[in-house]
Amino acid sequence: MGAIVSEAREGAIVTKRQAGRPPEAFLPLPPATFHILLALADGELHGYAIMKGVAARSEGSVRLGPGTLYGSLKRLLEAGLVEEGAERADPERGDERRRYYRMTPLGLSVVRAEARRLDALVRAARRKKLIGERPA
Amino acid sequence: MSAEDIYRLLLRAYPPDFRAEYGREMMLLFRDQCRESDVRTVGFWARVLYDVARSAPVLRVDAWHSGGIENTRTVEVIMKLDAMLTVLLGVFGIVNAVVEWVAGSKGAIDGRYVLAVVLAVFASVLLLGAGAAILLRRPQPARVALLASVVLFVAARLLFPWMSIFSQLVGFGLPVALLIALYWPRKASPLGAA
Repeated sequence: MGAIVSEAREGAIVTKRQAGRPPEAFLPLPPATFHILLALADGELHGYAIMKGVAARSEGSVRLGPGTLYGSLKRLLEAGLVEEGAERADPERGDERRRYYRMTPLGLSVVRAEARRLDALVRAARRKKLIGERPA
Repeated sequence: MSAEDIYRLLLRAYPPDFRAEYGREMMLLFRDQCRESDVRTVGFWARVLYDVARSAPVLRVDAWHSGGIENTRTVEVIMKLDAMLTVLLGVFGIVNAVVEWVAGSKGAIDGRYVLAVVLAVFASVLLLGAGAAILLRRPQPARVALLASVVLFVAARLLFPWMSIFSQLVGFGLPVALLIALYWPRKASPLGAA
């Protein structure tokens, strides 16, 4: 029963365990999460700016809806990879106050580790001549 | 009804705690999307519905998992009761098969009938073993025993089509329900699958 129960508890206690986790323990990152962290590498952003940044960087191939974006941000906040900044209005988007998010040092380590992992995969694909030396 | 009203209704698909925390931000983001897209197109609403259908169930499961110790204790008690019921039904299945065998052996014995009774006995023994494994906190052997029990029970049913509906429900439904219970609360990725 202990194993069953510990599996059931996993979701509840996973965030408490993550405090001392090395960056590699978070890998591989789900694509949406990686894109969000990449967007936050530019600095503090609100939800809509993250969404626009992801769409622009992926040339429209990744479109995060509000549910996917805030679901991912919730997990990133719980895991300590992202933190909330001060709530304020975006002058370009009206008077409504918006929550801003920024990457933590742990988040930066994780996104770097993921980028290195992906880079190693791409290099392996190049060695196998599956893709060219330079991006098309 | 405006697009925002429709989205407000769709937000009900998300867990209440998540809505309380992020509902306002999600509405703001949706409003931004409405400003930059044509809300009268099917494509726009297809994307909105896809986003809700993709994210809401995952967050519901997360919320259920993070229900904490109370949920866990409930699961533990339910699994313990199920395990005891499984052991009892395993014993009952063995006794039932023996009684069937004694009753059936008075007339001419059909080979398929004999095989069906033997399979039912093995299925019941496996069910008993699965119940014991759950009680002993060994989920992996329990899963294997339950799966084997279902296979044997289906084989017995195919060989002996006159099996009672109750026996079929118990012999098939119980192991399948337990298998779902044992497989469902899987270890979650720390950052989900989105």
